[in-house]
Amino acid sequence: MSGDMDDILQVFFQECDEQLQELERGLSALSDGDSDHETINAVFRAVHSIKGGAASFGLENLVRFAHVFESSLDGLRSGRIVPTHDIMKTFLKAMDVLSDLVSEARGGAGVDHARVAESQSELEAIINSDGAPKPAEDVVPQDFVPVPMDFVPVPMDFEPVPVDMDFGFDTPAAVPDLIVSFCPQDAMYERGDDARNILIGLRDLAATVEGGTFSVTCNTGELPSLAALSPTHTCLSWRVVLPAAVSEESVHGVFDWVSDVCDFSIAREGAAEEAPAEPEATPVAAPEPVAVVAAPAPEASAPVHVEPAAPVHEVAPAAVTNAIAGNAPPAARKAEQVASIRVDLHRIDDLMDLVGELVIAQASIEALSRRNDGAVQQELTQSISSMQSLTRDIQDAVMAVRAQPVRSVFQRMQRVVREACSMTKKDVVLLLEGEDTEVDRTLVEKLTDPLTHMLRNAVDHGIEKVEDRLAAGKPAEGHILLSAGHRSGRILITIKDDGGGINRQRVMETAIKRGIVAPDAVLSDDEINNLIFAPGFSTAATVSDLSGRGVGMDVVKQAILSLGGRVTIQSVQGEGTTFSLSLPLTLAVLDGMLIEAGQSTMVLPISSVVETMMIDHRDVYLLPDGGNIISIRGTCMPLIPLAAELGLSKAPTQEGLANAVILVVENESGGRAALVVDEIRDQTQVVIKSIEKNYRQISGVSAATILGDGSVSLILDVPALIGTAIRKIDNRTSSVRTGLAA
Amino acid sequence: MTEKDKEDGVDAKIVKMIVFAIGEQEYCIPILSVREIRGFEKTTALPFAPHYVCGAINLRGIILTVIDLAIYLNIQPQADNPRRVAIIVESKNGVVCGLLVDRVIDMADINMNDVQAVSEESSSLSGLVMVNDRMIGVLQLETVVGELVGDMVTE
Repeated sequence: MSGDMDDILQVFFQECDEQLQELERGLSALSDGDSDHETINAVFRAVHSIKGGAASFGLENLVRFAHVFESSLDGLRSGRIVPTHDIMKTFLKAMDVLSDLVSEARGGAGVDHARVAESQSELEAIINSDGAPKPAEDVVPQDFVPVPMDFVPVPMDFEPVPVDMDFGFDTPAAVPDLIVSFCPQDAMYERGDDARNILIGLRDLAATVEGGTFSVTCNTGELPSLAALSPTHTCLSWRVVLPAAVSEESVHGVFDWVSDVCDFSIAREGAAEEAPAEPEATPVAAPEPVAVVAAPAPEASAPVHVEPAAPVHEVAPAAVTNAIAGNAPPAARKAEQVASIRVDLHRIDDLMDLVGELVIAQASIEALSRRNDGAVQQELTQSISSMQSLTRDIQDAVMAVRAQPVRSVFQRMQRVVREACSMTKKDVVLLLEGEDTEVDRTLVEKLTDPLTHMLRNAVDHGIEKVEDRLAAGKPAEGHILLSAGHRSGRILITIKDDGGGINRQRVMETAIKRGIVAPDAVLSDDEINNLIFAPGFSTAATVSDLSGRGVGMDVVKQAILSLGGRVTIQSVQGEGTTFSLSLPLTLAVLDGMLIEAGQSTMVLPISSVVETMMIDHRDVYLLPDGGNIISIRGTCMPLIPLAAELGLSKAPTQEGLANAVILVVENESGGRAALVVDEIRDQTQVVIKSIEKNYRQISGVSAATILGDGSVSLILDVPALIGTAIRKIDNRTSSVRTGLAA
Repeated sequence: MTEKDKEDGVDAKIVKMIVFAIGEQEYCIPILSVREIRGFEKTTALPFAPHYVCGAINLRGIILTVIDLAIYLNIQPQADNPRRVAIIVESKNGVVCGLLVDRVIDMADINMNDVQAVSEESSSLSGLVMVNDRMIGVLQLETVVGELVGDMVTE
């Protein structure tokens, strides 16, 4: 039982995540000046759904805050509040608090209660400032605090007729004009909504107009005998008479949030003479006209009410049209939701693994078929090639299943920037571009930390202080553009700020002070830019809360490298800095070059290979104690005899080097080395397999793969190889290093 | 030690073991840790590997290393044995690896109480036991795998 409950709770939290994303998207749109009605509704709905769900789990803190939030958004929805910059800021902050509360309820880190209270009072200030009658606020004390208790009793409340609202009641056919029939479905209560709220909403609506009567009649005709009564099945419906002056739209507004889980109709008195009589008069005997008005709703969750609508059509056209009009948008929304399903990630991972196997198995059949020279050869080749294209398609399809838009990460960055702004007292707007770009979901998850670091850095170090910006003739508000897009089979993420750019002189001074570079080293602009990625580097004059611990950019670079990506920096002093992250689309496959070294076949990521050539021994220089340097068109770089470097064979002699093939490889910061290999065999796509899982890390090797013949092949870790080679040379002679730098 | 612990909770300390030979010496490991037995195949040499690691093989998409137990235990292996097989084992923490042995002999029910300890705890051999007048060494799988995965010197 508790297990079931946990499952349901998990689903609720998943939905919360989605609602929070929806909220974020909506609020961002509103901040950008898009105050479209549907956007506001989406925002309201998100908060409302979280509140409703939280109420059914008794998460009181969450409910209380969500309620205040919702009430303030109500002002926005009704147009009483104009979404100014400040108000949007308050809302965004409230959203962060709400998301904290959700994660607290989930068992995450505790919430900063001062912050909650602060945000709550800001929201209340908004509610109080809107000047109009405050329906929602009245409701707070008697309604929302006890919601978890309230929720069950309502369907039991079969007190026959009146629901006393302190108003005159039961005067159906007098002056009133607008008649609302309202029948909740089971789903409405399941969702945590309460019929009382609707009735109170209608009462408040009636109170906004002068004169007229307001009455509520409860139809208990559907009530079964006590023995047959089910606590989860709703049997009550209501008929509400509103003053003539109340507009139908405003009534729709009251039902806006429950219209998909209740049947309601609105009719003017004159239009449907018999409709008002229905609820009371014909309870069980004549089900057809009651359908819309008092549908007992056994199929309460059915999205579109086609069946109940049909019979009533003849009876009360006006009422039905209204009912359908009210129901249509939610139905459409539901259809969208049905189009996706939740699948356990492990299942997709398993599928991915199997497809990887399939690719390998198929490659091995292909390899075998080449050896066969019988009569079947040609047909075999043909069927293999059609199988090959199928396998490719399956692989692509599975990849597509795992693909996820980067939106989820990008939207989280809004919060990062907001928080960084409030800490640094800067005003920065984060613009997003290409959030729909899809990448493998493992990659999406792993992007969060590096991006967080980079954006904090951009706010803290990139964007100047307000007075400096104004002095430089820039707008006080800083801008950061975070964009994603596909570039030649990779994903390119850029973070562009319009700040002061990298102060190379200061970077250089700091680097020398920290002993990262020699005092007399001469570095290119690009090399200086890249110094900010060096471990232990930080230019911030003071260590701030945000960054300046000197780990940030170093960690970023490591993280990106471990994903098979690279980081480049462009910076123009006074105009800003752009960081570009280029990442593979997936972590599962890699385009590689198959090479032969020391009797082993190995794979080099093709992205790291700059060029291949035959060695010319005249370009090779011997270093004092055994290392080699090669000069390629005037550029010196370490020469790495690959097999020897990996301990797979002895160091080659000078003669052995004579006819070798070399591959010039490059790491992320542009450092190069030349790898000596025996042979270049092929270029192919390989499935990346972990080697550490059943073994340990091997220096110079990043992972392994399985070749067509089923044998294991190592994938080389180029940055590590280059790093080791350069370090070795550094240790040997510092004079050579100076030569290299120059 | 670890294998013993596993069985201590059970009333009878009978453990089903798989018995194999390396050279003239017989050893055993609990059959529950064995995943499968495969003919020895070509391995891929691994850089900086300990001398007793033959290399890596592909087991239906999982990459694992094969340990030559003869070298590991410092025993003279049978010369030119075409029947050498790899016993694929899985340690308690889920590490899968292959143990290259000369031949697999049979299975035996071994009472852990009969095992005579031979050396200190961290050893790769937890003890010796007599089965049908044969002296069989009880291999300490976790020690072997632990050495493979971790605490080795890297370049």
